[in-house]
Amino acid sequence: MVAAGCATAPVSNHVVRPANRFPAEAFITERAVFNARGAQFPLNGYLALSAAGGKRLVVTENFGRVVADVLVKPDGTIFVMQSSRMFPATYIRYGIAVDLECLCGDSPPADCPLKMPGPNHFVIDRGTRYRLDLQILEIKPGAPPAELFDETKAEK
Amino acid sequence: MLAVFSVGVNGLAAPSPVLAELQVKMASVKSVYLEFTQERVLKLFSEPLKSDGVMLIERPAKIRWETTAPYQTILLGDKSSVAQFEFADGKWQKLKLGFPQLLQRVMQQMAALNSGNLAAMTDDYEVTVATNSETVLTLVPKDKMMRGMLSSLEIHLPPDLSGTREVVMNEPNGDLTRIIFRNEKHDATFPAKTFDQSKPLEIAAVQTAVKNAP
Repeated sequence: MVAAGCATAPVSNHVVRPANRFPAEAFITERAVFNARGAQFPLNGYLALSAAGGKRLVVTENFGRVVADVLVKPDGTIFVMQSSRMFPATYIRYGIAVDLECLCGDSPPADCPLKMPGPNHFVIDRGTRYRLDLQILEIKPGAPPAELFDETKAEK
Repeated sequence: MLAVFSVGVNGLAAPSPVLAELQVKMASVKSVYLEFTQERVLKLFSEPLKSDGVMLIERPAKIRWETTAPYQTILLGDKSSVAQFEFADGKWQKLKLGFPQLLQRVMQQMAALNSGNLAAMTDDYEVTVATNSETVLTLVPKDKMMRGMLSSLEIHLPPDLSGTREVVMNEPNGDLTRIIFRNEKHDATFPAKTFDQSKPLEIAAVQTAVKNAP
């Protein structure tokens, strides 16, 4: 699950490197299907973006349970705020946070296989590992509360 | 009506008579149609995360839980299987679900609770009842592991127990999910393929049939 709302590049079925023309401060709602090991997992994503605070992504499953929560500070430091059996901390740090930077980072990683089949539709295809199919539902511009970006307030 | 079950002045009632009454009322109901607004309250966010949808139950065990906004997804369950469909890029896609048994169990429990199934409540939960301007059944899971995910479940009903107004699922960390129901209809005959796990009928067609039912 990633923060595809950041990307505003033209629709493309080729790998794209979208410019960061998304709101610097916003709250973005996403719906995604995570494909891994031959199974599909529908997820919701809630992404808060702050120029000063960083990026905070909360991922929930079908009935609203939080399965991943990650904070990426502006300097790139990653804090796993909440993990789950579905998404262990290691996976969040080296999977979800990397995909988040792939789509929203100021300098996306080289390994960033992002495609845009539609204007609000994004796909990250990591071959045999997983494929993330993501739709942007809503972008609310505006500064999210500062406490969202406080790494000391992780879920125990 | 429920005043007969009340004990003391704080509105608490003995649960068994209320549950029995609820089961009697629901026993003759063959199907239930409900529209809902779901509010996911995460203490992290200042505003609840809202979604709208429809829930359909057909006795004995068919259930359809459909979210219609801000995204579209259909969950279908019966005694032996579960299916989920996701709408994207103008078409429905059937998902290969990761944990179908778990999802099927949740769906069956939802159907049982919304049907006033006494055994489903008392087997798995400690039940208390409060009766004031509305009746509130509070269910606390007996299973410790379950309590780690769900501290309590509240079912709000009108005093005559004629329908479900609201369900609140409270989590140990303070997060909660509130589902507010409206436009409840009993005993509507749902069209064919309403619960079809291969190609379910579009919800608009189901709603038209329910609306036009006598």
